[in-house]
Amino acid sequence: MNDQRLELSSELMAGGVGLVAAAGYINNEGGQAIADVINRLLDRGAVALLIDLEGTRIINSIGVSILLEVLEKLMEKNGRLAFCNLTPTIARTFEIMGLAEYASIFDDRETAIEELTRLNRAD
Amino acid sequence: MKLTLNLPAVPEVELVAAKAVELVGRDLGLSSTCIESVTVATVEACLNAIEHGNQRGFAVRIETQAAGGERWLVIEVEDHGGGFDPEAVSAPSGNRKHGSAPNRGWGLKLIRDLMDDVDVQSRPGLTIVRMKRRIGGT
Repeated sequence: MNDQRLELSSELMAGGVGLVAAAGYINNEGGQAIADVINRLLDRGAVALLIDLEGTRIINSIGVSILLEVLEKLMEKNGRLAFCNLTPTIARTFEIMGLAEYASIFDDRETAIEELTRLNRAD
Repeated sequence: MKLTLNLPAVPEVELVAAKAVELVGRDLGLSSTCIESVTVATVEACLNAIEHGNQRGFAVRIETQAAGGERWLVIEVEDHGGGFDPEAVSAPSGNRKHGSAPNRGWGLKLIRDLMDDVDVQSRPGLTIVRMKRRIGGT
């Protein structure tokens, strides 16, 4: 099960885009770890958050629930939440649970950063 | 093919069942997307068994079956908790206004959406979630 251990990295990029890269199993602990990283990026001035899930094959419903809470918090602050590099099953899970209706989904990191930066500058 | 796992109700034990599903799925030549969707459904069923199974452990049975000219991958997750009324379980609201709706309780909804056929039998002391995924013709 070692290959499922969640690895996280984060970066605050120019244009107010906070990037979180998550690889591994996202359950309640993993979801909370991502939420904690996002809160720190928001404290540092991020206004849009991109979560790159390349390397994540399984995210359970509790993990998605925590991301939904992050989304609600961002919506209250008029922030944006986006994802990229989703497997088809994770994308389907986000659709079923309503996350895809309110967050943006991109195929790859470069496209996502470009679009989020453009939107932040337009605000 | 039939595989039975008797698992303790400990954190992340659902990944043992997930790995078993992945290995069986690969052996059957299923696509990675098919394997991942069955894996997520299995993980959700295991989480329900851990949460509602009175900490007594649970069983996961994985097998292939042929019926009606179709081949199926069948996963059963059995626990011995207090049971519940599956007809009374409704998916949470999709309303995303902060605090307006509970974000938990999506497991059964995910299982039903990701698998082709799901049957839940539950009474005090025994719950069996039976999930089927079509894997081809016989």
